[in-house]
Amino acid sequence: MKQTHSIANETVDHARTREAWTLKRVLTNTYFLNAVSLIVFLLVWDYVAREHIFHDSLARPWDVVKQIVYLTNHKYAGTNLWGHIWASTRRVLIGFSIASVVAVPLGLFMALNTRVNAAVKPLFDLFKPMPPIAWVTIAVLWFGIGETSKVFIIVIGSFVPCLLNAYNGVRLVDPELYDVIRVLGGSRRDQIFHVCFPASFPAVFAGLQISLSVAWTCVLAAELTSSRTGLGFLIKRGMDTYKPTLVLGGMLLIAAAAWLTSQLVNILEKRLCPWKRHIENL
Amino acid sequence: MNANEQLLKIRCENISKTFIQKGNQEVPVIRDVNVDVRENEFLVICGPGQCGKSTLLRIIAGLEIPDTGTVLLDGKPVEGPGADRGMVFQSYMLFAWKTVRHNVELGLKLRGVPPKERQEIAQRYIDMVGLQGFENHYPHQLSGGMKQRVGIARAYANAPTVMLLDEPFGQLDAQTRMFMQHEIARIWEQEKRTVIFVTNNIDEALFLADRIVLMEGKLPGTVKTEYKVDLPRPREHISMDLLRLRKVITDNTELVL
Repeated sequence: MKQTHSIANETVDHARTREAWTLKRVLTNTYFLNAVSLIVFLLVWDYVAREHIFHDSLARPWDVVKQIVYLTNHKYAGTNLWGHIWASTRRVLIGFSIASVVAVPLGLFMALNTRVNAAVKPLFDLFKPMPPIAWVTIAVLWFGIGETSKVFIIVIGSFVPCLLNAYNGVRLVDPELYDVIRVLGGSRRDQIFHVCFPASFPAVFAGLQISLSVAWTCVLAAELTSSRTGLGFLIKRGMDTYKPTLVLGGMLLIAAAAWLTSQLVNILEKRLCPWKRHIENL
Repeated sequence: MNANEQLLKIRCENISKTFIQKGNQEVPVIRDVNVDVRENEFLVICGPGQCGKSTLLRIIAGLEIPDTGTVLLDGKPVEGPGADRGMVFQSYMLFAWKTVRHNVELGLKLRGVPPKERQEIAQRYIDMVGLQGFENHYPHQLSGGMKQRVGIARAYANAPTVMLLDEPFGQLDAQTRMFMQHEIARIWEQEKRTVIFVTNNIDEALFLADRIVLMEGKLPGTVKTEYKVDLPRPREHISMDLLRLRKVITDNTELVL
């Protein structure tokens, strides 16, 4: 029984078998199926639009693309397309940053300290079930129709998932991991820095992702109500002037912008949690 | 027999522990347990599931405080966990966010050993458990047997005088388990420590132990008897002497479902 040999047997084998290209293999290829589903969707969309099933309220995909391209080099309400995208993105980023910088440490702190928890929890439970959109009107009354009210709504909306996930991330850590630190001669401080924080990272990042998507919902709600810039404004203006291309274009752009920002959070997570990087390979 | 091996290392005196469950229900887990462990002895605490053997180990580790009785380590009462006792856990308890090397180094890091020195020590124990080449792997990239090797290296690297192993191979498949038993015997021969090894597996106990403490199979757990296993090492699972002793022990163990 040679030792190195046994170790090799225990190792997980990552090797992929290479097969020849057959028709069956092409038809069951993931990328092929991805492409098929997208193309079918576009064809159905185009068909529904051409047949006027929603009367004139659904634009054809190509017209939406043309509308978006048109906006990139023509000003709309004094700002070109990039200006509108940036206006929304900026609000999201500011609101989301404020919320996460406050909520994540607060959530961690609540989970670690019963007194902080006892003081903050009732307030949090009171505001938690309140939909962030419910704050739109009061935000306008308090802060007017400027940037502050929009950022305020985003902060309110993205605060809750951030805090909740950080809180639960710490509470769900296996308590035996703290025993390991104690047995190794570590202090309470060591338990927090070597177990509590890193163990809760994945939950914290899951919370950040949810917060980000809530932030995009909130910015849209805020811009639909009162704004002269942003993607929500484009959608609203599209509705007011009966331009389905503008409404659909705005929707697509919001999706694209939201996807991009969530990719940024993904990259950040991979940087900070390198141990999660290989898990999908197993 | 080395004279050193007769020195008393740990003495458990009248240890009792009762847990309070939800609804104020009292569950007595162990009662009046007296166990002595000699220096560099390989002591196996053996008993069926739910007999309080892991609780006894956690009390020796200082992770639980007994209701009555004391644990004396080198003559001094144990008041909490400390780096003088290393522990290996049944479910490995590796830090998923640390590489093998950083898992093994952690105890040294917590005690302020400079990076270069702790890397050397960690490497020595990584080599000892046969994980050279896996230093920069994360735990999820390792198999169960390899994970527990990291657990063993992590405990050893912290230079404890006592090693506490809580059913360390309980989650491994039969083949790997047998192989790991050879490994832990080899490691113990190589780096003699006082070892307290908890298991529910009589074969494992016989293969490893200098002495077996057999615990009663119901709560509250008590010590039933002790067996001295005076067989030469390295042992074979199927040697006649070992099997004869096995028969004695199994006859003395009631089946608990």
